[in-house]
Amino acid sequence: MRVVIADDSVLMREGVAKILVDGGFDVVAEVGDADALKQAVDRLAPDVAVVDVRMPPTHTDEGARAAREIRAEHPDVGVLVLSQVIEAGHALALFQERPEGVGYLLKDRVLEIDDFVEAVRRVGRGGTAIDSDVIAQLVGRKRDDDPLEELTPREREVLGLMAEGLSNQGICKRLVLSPKTVETHVNSIFGKLGFVQAPDDHRRVLAVLAFLRS
Amino acid sequence: MRLARAAIAVGGLVLAVAAYRAQVDNLPVPGERGRAIAIVAIGLSFLVAGLIAWARRRGNRLGPLMVVAGLALLLRQLRYSHNSTLFTLCFLVGDLSYAVVGHVALAYPSGRLIDRAGKALARAGYAVTLTFSLAVLLLYDGRGQLLQFDPFPRKSLIAVSSQPHAVELLQKTLIVVFYGVLATLLIAYILWRLTRATARARRILAPLLLAAVVVALRAVFECVFTFFDRPFANDYLFWWQIVGFIALPLALLVGLLRARLAHAGVGELVLRLERTPPQGLRQELAHALDDPSLEVAFWLPDRREFVNAAGQAVPLPPDRPDRAVTRLEHDGEPLAALVHDPSLRDEPELVDQVGAAARMALENARLHAEVHAQLAKVEESRARLATAADEERRRIERDLHDGAQTQLVALALELRRAQARLGRDADPEIDRLLGFAADELRDAVEGLRELARGIRPPILTEAGLAAALDALATRAPLAVQVDASPGRLPPEIEATAYFVACEGLANVVTHAGASNVTSSARNENGTMVVVVADDGVGGAQTTDGSGLRGLADRVEAHGGRLRVESPVGRGTRLVGEIPCGS
Repeated sequence: MRVVIADDSVLMREGVAKILVDGGFDVVAEVGDADALKQAVDRLAPDVAVVDVRMPPTHTDEGARAAREIRAEHPDVGVLVLSQVIEAGHALALFQERPEGVGYLLKDRVLEIDDFVEAVRRVGRGGTAIDSDVIAQLVGRKRDDDPLEELTPREREVLGLMAEGLSNQGICKRLVLSPKTVETHVNSIFGKLGFVQAPDDHRRVLAVLAFLRS
Repeated sequence: MRLARAAIAVGGLVLAVAAYRAQVDNLPVPGERGRAIAIVAIGLSFLVAGLIAWARRRGNRLGPLMVVAGLALLLRQLRYSHNSTLFTLCFLVGDLSYAVVGHVALAYPSGRLIDRAGKALARAGYAVTLTFSLAVLLLYDGRGQLLQFDPFPRKSLIAVSSQPHAVELLQKTLIVVFYGVLATLLIAYILWRLTRATARARRILAPLLLAAVVVALRAVFECVFTFFDRPFANDYLFWWQIVGFIALPLALLVGLLRARLAHAGVGELVLRLERTPPQGLRQELAHALDDPSLEVAFWLPDRREFVNAAGQAVPLPPDRPDRAVTRLEHDGEPLAALVHDPSLRDEPELVDQVGAAARMALENARLHAEVHAQLAKVEESRARLATAADEERRRIERDLHDGAQTQLVALALELRRAQARLGRDADPEIDRLLGFAADELRDAVEGLRELARGIRPPILTEAGLAAALDALATRAPLAVQVDASPGRLPPEIEATAYFVACEGLANVVTHAGASNVTSSARNENGTMVVVVADDGVGGAQTTDGSGLRGLADRVEAHGGRLRVESPVGRGTRLVGEIPCGS
């Protein structure tokens, strides 16, 4: 899987590149700013780009903007955004309409090497990777008109993990449940949210969107 | 001077009687008595109005000029005398008297001829009337009839030849040149002055409109009288121009005394200024000078520049034809400057008097302006300090992010890789140590992140105010509705607005007992309005409460305001308004 890494810290860039190479990725470009990133994506058409939110010249949100532009111009390129700060609202802006092929992780997550490499791979394949902090913020959110109100606490937990990007199998591992139990929860979630007829992958996406927007 | 005026008045009366007799005795036509009185009245009107103007407007030469015109108009009538000396002298003055009247109109209101056109017209009037009258006297020896005279011959003392036809031609030519050409030019000049004048000047110049009408009437009368049937001219036209001529000096006098009334208003101005606050000074002066366009600038000796009432530096315009500047001084030191209508140049005494009357008030207003100027400086410096502090916070947050945090994560990553590289064969103690070190590093990063959030939330830097308010609401322990729609704004504005919302939400959580909370931020015509409103118990202490005071300082440093509305039992609103210039 071909990957482009964009981070203005050479140290960070090298570190991420090494663990991705170790993980079997083909790192085709390492760049230090948003313009170079966009050029690299245009030129190399990678499977996934790993992007730091803050890059020169203003060190504010160049990376996030570049990520949105790449998503608009190259729908088949996955974008995994790394940030020093994780905010649910910001995540939503990044995902916009389509959560396919998007990741939004706290920078520290690279330290869980296996999970991180797996997340990059998932995004590269068109899946999602949402930081568990976002999920925690959203689950902890208090509001009057929550469309997810009907879900049981367990079902919310499962939906959160779906949103993080985990497969049923991954959820089994994380929650230490049998595959059958997880499948029951997942179907119950789809039922309560009203996605009965759609194919499974699509329903997953819809559920995640419902979760993020709730 | 008073004696001189009294003597002139007496002499004028005597002259008036003589002028009346000269007409009645020497032009024995039925009905001529009333006309004689009317014609004498014109001269007297100029004389009296001139004397009053002279007495009331010292230093203005129009009064004396009107007196001269009045005397000349009376002397003119003596030319009908059969006494050769009187005839010769007064014939010379005859048409000249109208040149003086023209001069009066040209020199109104200052008594001076203000431009080349005016000077040329006045000179031409004198030259034409004198030259033609002199020429007539040289060629007239009693033969033939003079225009406007009865058939009885007079004797010119300076006649050198007898040319009756030339005399008639000369007289008719004078009518055409003087009453045709020059009178038309005078009317055009008056209209030109009126159209070019400023509003204030036009009010003063209004009597000249009457002058233009009178000159026109007189010119038409002269031409009709000379070239057409006399009875026609004798009727209405005669009386219309007589009435106009009597009214003209009175109108000019009223125009002059209008300004004189303004002088009388100076006393009143002193009383009014006693009760006028400094910001009302300009209006009072404008009223006293009858110039709504008046601007006042104050001299600040320390800064060596002029400032307006708000303390802002104002460069004085150069003295231009359309805008005049008068500097007011006290004890040789500049005090203030008046930028005013150019028509006030003709009334320097008035400007001086008003300036003197308002000296105390001007000093006072200058002190106010000075305080304003200093306050503005302090405010500017406070805003600079606040912006610098915000900038510093931003720099620290960025340094943490780009420096320490990133380096620590990268370092921890190396340790993790080392751990992975050693794999299962590693000494469990080394594996544990590496893992421990990496975890410690991550905790350090977490700690730095919290530190950075307190200094300046990274989300504010990365995604702007709306996202930061969203994040704030998400983290709050109660439901908060967020309504924020500003785009990106200058970082110090975003930070200030953010901390207003922070403080508001913190207070809601601690005190309000609220169930509905909204946090909003809108850009309303260049003002960032950030509001945190709840439906709690209200009655919040609004006096210098610890956090609020510091926050208010911060908001005010950016030229904004912070206020708390907290009626008991009706919730609390914390409102911050910060100018954001877009």
